[in-house]
Amino acid sequence: MDEPQRPTQPSAIRRLAASAALVALAASALVGSGAFGLRQRLFGSAVPEPVAPVGGRVAGATPAPQASQTVLRSVPWWQDVASFAGSADEVTEAFVISDDILQWRVRWTCMQGNLTVALAGRDEPPLVDASCPDGGTAYVTEPGEAMLEISASAPWTVEVAQQIDAPLVEPPLEGMTAPGAEVVARSSLYGIERTGTGEMIVYRLVGGGYALRLEDVYVTPNIDLELRFSELDRPGSTEEFLDARSVFVAPMPVTAGSLNFRIPKRLEPLKFGSLVIWCPPLAVAYAGATIEPEGAP
Amino acid sequence: MSRAEAAVTAEGARLPRLAIGHRSIPVVLPARGDPRLKLAAIIITLQVLGQTVLGFRVSIAQILVSILLCAAIEVAVTYRRSGMLVWPGSAMLTGNSVAFILRTSGTQHGDWWSLNGIEFFVLACVLSMLSKYLIRPGGAHVFNPSNVGLVWTFLLVGPVHVFPQYLWWGPIGLPVVLALLVILAGAVWILRSVRMYQMAVAFFVPFAAIVAVLALAGRSFYAVWNPNPISGLSYFTNIVLSPEIMVFVFFMMSDPRTAAKTPAGRIAYGVSTAVVAGALISFQSTEFGIKLGILASLTVTCALVPLIDRWAARAAKAREDAPARARYGRAALVAVVIVAVAAPVNTAALANNEEIVLIERGLLGPSSPQ
Repeated sequence: MDEPQRPTQPSAIRRLAASAALVALAASALVGSGAFGLRQRLFGSAVPEPVAPVGGRVAGATPAPQASQTVLRSVPWWQDVASFAGSADEVTEAFVISDDILQWRVRWTCMQGNLTVALAGRDEPPLVDASCPDGGTAYVTEPGEAMLEISASAPWTVEVAQQIDAPLVEPPLEGMTAPGAEVVARSSLYGIERTGTGEMIVYRLVGGGYALRLEDVYVTPNIDLELRFSELDRPGSTEEFLDARSVFVAPMPVTAGSLNFRIPKRLEPLKFGSLVIWCPPLAVAYAGATIEPEGAP
Repeated sequence: MSRAEAAVTAEGARLPRLAIGHRSIPVVLPARGDPRLKLAAIIITLQVLGQTVLGFRVSIAQILVSILLCAAIEVAVTYRRSGMLVWPGSAMLTGNSVAFILRTSGTQHGDWWSLNGIEFFVLACVLSMLSKYLIRPGGAHVFNPSNVGLVWTFLLVGPVHVFPQYLWWGPIGLPVVLALLVILAGAVWILRSVRMYQMAVAFFVPFAAIVAVLALAGRSFYAVWNPNPISGLSYFTNIVLSPEIMVFVFFMMSDPRTAAKTPAGRIAYGVSTAVVAGALISFQSTEFGIKLGILASLTVTCALVPLIDRWAARAAKAREDAPARARYGRAALVAVVIVAVAAPVNTAALANNEEIVLIERGLLGPSSPQ
């Protein structure tokens, strides 16, 4: 800033430069404080915009959950929007694709002849132009209201789904809240090789059988995750998990939110030590939760 | 011109010379016993281990740019002041230290020639050298250059683009043990030559005690390399026994230019850095915040060194031997105050930074910058 040993007074230019440098230093300190979001405005943010979680695996079928908006994201998952079937030409009912989708798809099958599927009212090539019998998937990226114009002369099916990454907050299954249903185990998720947070609750349903709820869960996103019961109480690594017996419970297509899973009838959860979220493509144990019987010391 | 530069100017006639056109420029090369060469050897050894077996996410190109940029700035400044080409040993260490600690989002281990995020290395190096040559209230620089350059860069740019080298360099195994041996052997080698053993002990004893209390009080922190919060004994060992804290104490705090000058002062310097570091990390729930707390503690203490030196001299009743009271330039003094206040305050504010918590907890999925 200056050379105090010099007997001469600093020049006006030096004084001006020193003042400017001090202002720059103070300004950078203000940015570094994070005040007024200055740092984010200058250098950006890694945190995505908050989104409202969705309330069901079928769009519009369940009221929007009360849960507040969140910056957490699930692995992209397919939410059903509409399904249609017929055996002749048809223009489907209108359906709405959300604005915040990643993409949407049309899954189709047809039995004989030819099938064409096009977006109604658009001067575009058809999404599907196929000889039957056949089946496949077509992808679209534009959101908004849409109708499908179908040209066919034999039975066909069309399923529309949208891909989103918003968390799914399902209400508890009716069987979980019915009189007589009880919570038999409950514990917190922990990370094994990846992040895992939230709570696991195991319900004994009225009339037998079990269901599992993962509440406020977040697991490091990846496709093809699945839930497995392990004999171990608390596996600490993939190697430990692989050294013990485990059984498949359910696929986990959504990795954030509050999720319900029906436990296969052949499985008795309390005979296992833990639930593990397993990634078959990577052969990595992501997260786990000890199955602690409710009321156990 | 500093005293050191004046001394070499006086000896200019005896120095080797480099002829450029009609000019004959004296050249000052490093002395064989220069402790900066020892320190450079240690840091380069650690960088080689980092590039080969420790998985450091820094490229050789980033390291070279940092070293060469700092060296170029120092050569230019020194030449302008003294008319000599002086081996920029200190500046090369500054650049090496910046590259040793600074990491930029997206840089992968093994991508040796990547210039990813090079602008942030340039920023840290330029800030380091500016602090060295512009913030000189008593005619000498106050802050450890690489320390203040790193702290300012981390705070200014934030966790989206930059982060400090992790506290731990991997699971205990041959590579980490090798690195610890290099650090400990280097500590013996360096601390003896700069007489900083007492300072190191004066830092580690209270720092370990403070971290132990924090661990017992249930404090924990999140780090991207661990899926669960780190608490209890792991909290203590991950902070107090980390290679990073050893590098910080042995090779950054021990810089004799910015540390206290007297033995008593060096003890006070070590203790006060430990106390400030302990206070700053007590707020933090992330590794980013803890690392910044540790680094910022030195920024604060360096600003206090003139006071520590004066106190130590008075305590020893040897005030007449104490360094002459410098005439402080007002602007430089204001700069010292801004840096010394903003560094800890802004570091403490990181405790409330939701973005860092989301990153360190691994809750941002593929959009995480680390």
